[in-house]
Amino acid sequence: MSGVNVIEKERTLTINPLKTCQPLGAMFAVMGVYHGLPMVHGSQGCSTFVRYNFARHFREPAEIAVSSLHEDAAVFGGRKNINMGIKNLALRFKPDLIGAITTCSSEIIGDDVFGFVDTTKKELKEMSEDVKGLDKIEVIPIPTPSFVGNHFTGYDIGVNSLVSGLAEHGEPTEKVNIIPGMVNPGDIREIKHILALMGIEGLILTDTSDPFDSPLRPSVTPTKPYFPKGGTTVDEIRDSANSQGTIALCKYAGTGATSLEKKHEVPAIIESPPIGLQNTDQFLRNLKILTDCEIPDSILDERGILVDLIADNAARYLFGRKVAIYGDPDITTGMARFVGELGMEPTMVCTGANSKTFTPDMEKISKETGCDIDVLFEQDMRSFEVYVQENPVDLIIGPSDGRLLAQDLGIPLIRAGFPVYDRIGYHRHPIVGYNGAARLMEMITNTVLEKYYEPTHWKLQQ
Amino acid sequence: MPYKLFDVDKEIPERKNHTYVKHCSDPAECMPACNTKTVPGSMSERGCAFAGAKGVITGALKDVVHVVHSPVGCTYYAGGTKRYPTSPDMPDGSKFPIENFNLKYVCGTDLVESDVVFGGMKKLRQSIIDAAQEFPEANAIYAYATCTTGLIGDDMDAVAKELTAELGKDVVVFNAPGFAGPSQSKGHHIANHTIFERLVGTQEPPTTTPYDIGLIGEYNIDGDLWVLESYLKEMGIRIISRFTGDACHNEICFMHRAKLNLVRCQRSATYIADLIKEKYDIPYINVDFFSTEYCAENLRTIGEYFGLEKKAEKVIADRMKKVGPELEFYREKLQGKKVYIFSGGPKSWHLAIPLEKELGIKVTAVASQFEHEDGYVKMKNRVNEGTLIVDDPNSMELEEMITNDRPDLILAGIKEKYMAHKLGVPSLMIHSYENGPYIGFEGFLNLAKDMYSNIYNPVWRMLEFEENPAKNGEIEGITESIETINGTEVAK
Repeated sequence: MSGVNVIEKERTLTINPLKTCQPLGAMFAVMGVYHGLPMVHGSQGCSTFVRYNFARHFREPAEIAVSSLHEDAAVFGGRKNINMGIKNLALRFKPDLIGAITTCSSEIIGDDVFGFVDTTKKELKEMSEDVKGLDKIEVIPIPTPSFVGNHFTGYDIGVNSLVSGLAEHGEPTEKVNIIPGMVNPGDIREIKHILALMGIEGLILTDTSDPFDSPLRPSVTPTKPYFPKGGTTVDEIRDSANSQGTIALCKYAGTGATSLEKKHEVPAIIESPPIGLQNTDQFLRNLKILTDCEIPDSILDERGILVDLIADNAARYLFGRKVAIYGDPDITTGMARFVGELGMEPTMVCTGANSKTFTPDMEKISKETGCDIDVLFEQDMRSFEVYVQENPVDLIIGPSDGRLLAQDLGIPLIRAGFPVYDRIGYHRHPIVGYNGAARLMEMITNTVLEKYYEPTHWKLQQ
Repeated sequence: MPYKLFDVDKEIPERKNHTYVKHCSDPAECMPACNTKTVPGSMSERGCAFAGAKGVITGALKDVVHVVHSPVGCTYYAGGTKRYPTSPDMPDGSKFPIENFNLKYVCGTDLVESDVVFGGMKKLRQSIIDAAQEFPEANAIYAYATCTTGLIGDDMDAVAKELTAELGKDVVVFNAPGFAGPSQSKGHHIANHTIFERLVGTQEPPTTTPYDIGLIGEYNIDGDLWVLESYLKEMGIRIISRFTGDACHNEICFMHRAKLNLVRCQRSATYIADLIKEKYDIPYINVDFFSTEYCAENLRTIGEYFGLEKKAEKVIADRMKKVGPELEFYREKLQGKKVYIFSGGPKSWHLAIPLEKELGIKVTAVASQFEHEDGYVKMKNRVNEGTLIVDDPNSMELEEMITNDRPDLILAGIKEKYMAHKLGVPSLMIHSYENGPYIGFEGFLNLAKDMYSNIYNPVWRMLEFEENPAKNGEIEGITESIETINGTEVAK
């Protein structure tokens, strides 16, 4: 009987964390709002490091403001900083929405961000007599102390703050809300493609696909200020209260869905991301549950193309190969299930988050695949490295943060998740849906062919 | 009026003093205001003091474990470090066993709510012990205060003092929480003082020679330090201590044994050169190795100091022979191009004259995130009449400059690069480089090549769809843009 063996961190020290702090996730969520600007209430590193990380993964501008807390604010409080910061942004950028995101410093000094935002909004209203439109700017406080949770929970709080702060009861619509999680533009575009084939209008909360993969077209690009194309509009977020249902495509980001269910009776489904065959099947079934739609032939054909690809190649090249997967708890879960579907063995999975659903999900996957899975829970990249040194695998799947370790271990790394900065294009292509699974399957197989087959061997002849 | 208020700054008029247009007749005190608090919400590009300490100064050391005392974020970001390669070579001839140790590992205490409430000292103590156990190879442990630990008031120095004795290796605390000072510059300052007070003079080098120099403020971005090291080595000069590119902990501890210090980055490291001069009476000279002329000039100065003039001339002649002809090609191609230099600190003044004089480029704007007055004096002296000098630029100002002035290229960081591209202007990363090293003779050639390949990237001529292209325009455009240098086809 196969099962999981949970291995927790024995050290106090964290070495090469597989997570970062909450504010990054909140900023990610706000970046998906049309003309939305995150403003971090903290030190300058709190915005600069995140901008650097977004820029090197997406290779796009990431405009994130900061209230620039210096010593005086640490002593006297940051009210002036957040107040001025919001007003300066409002006056100069005239955004549709500002997300006021807290950090460790602003929480420790006890800044009442909700109160400060209220006061600032009143001031903006007064100022709107002179400068039109300032009163229309939404300012959403997002409490994300860095010493609680991780960037996944920060994303959850970000989406939930936006939804809870904006959703308004109105005429029911035929739309389905989708909370995509911290995925790539390519993933969101694949989700939209699936919805289009199903004839469903999606409302993505929030849609980072265009902001994080924007066209270079100077003739139509707005300047002074630059705003990227796309994103979910404030009105669309307001309308999320009237959709047929909400699907959160990752389990860490379900709070927004639950809030809409509680406050506005929008049915919520919180699931693993649609990575691989069965998880994508489940996504289609969930859409059917919410909308009672037909599942069209066009999408079953796409499924068939994936099945064909797996049938043609998996047994021949991939069967029984051992895989270790690390990173985002939900992407890791989806990936583990998918490599199982390919006849490979997900012998070890590792996440830095303390996701409650991670281990139970792995238990299911272990039963399904008949493979014992070592679960490195709330662990770090160093534990991953030491484990793999002692328990070799054939392939590693995860973000670029493992690139040097994989190199040392001599095991090929298939890049997936966030961040990927040592290769290009990873943000533009999906890993979700049938098309995403096909791409993953091809990447995995080609990596195996590259690494485990001699380049001149007759086995590669046909 | 020498100061300029950007249109996009009319709501934050305090920015006017930070934006100066050079007029030769202006009195000396006319220069941008600098090193002051950032305007909240201005979309500044600045970083924090912690980034200045770990990211710039100490992250380059090859044999030190870094323990960031923080919630997990600061630790994660400290790992996404600059391009600071290291070699395994140690001063005693041995090899450090873990390759690229500084790029590979970063540690932290991952503080959670209960630590914030009850204090993080115990966790810090155990974490440092863990770090020593996990990496017994490491020769020291550096621990960093951050916003959280600065605010909750953990006495990190007490823990470090205890553990230095207990573990038998230096445990050094850098008290540069993110909120300290107006920018990352404060972190450089704190790190300099910490290293001087805590480490310099605590060890002796295995050997000394009359030709030992300290190379201060050179962090080996993309291998810059190795370029300079090869010149000095050929001249018969030994770098006894590097601060801190490709350095090890021990050589920092014997920085007081250099015969002369060279200060390369004069923003982030003049502090320690001054302190060493004061206490140990070791002279220092400010050096500038960006471009062939500055590099030659400075090698001559160093040669003179040690009586090695002939060897210096040989290095210069050898390298010029190597890079001269190719540089001439780029000079021809870059002639008259309009370029902005948006550096973190001093590269704006390092590069202004070389780009003009050696490559024929027009530098029409320079900016710095965190320079101080002395840096702006140099910047002002080295740019032409009418050049814009901006302190702590923000992205809307950059946008305004680009849309009004349409430069041919912007030298900047990763945060500005993709914005410039969206506005149709190429941008080359000058903070962490693209295809560096950029220092010295070969480095300047690399820089010229990277500027050329960015400006002449054919895509900039194809940005928009043309409904009615000029006759044969597309095909001609492409064939015209290719030519051959040194057997390699390059875009024109």
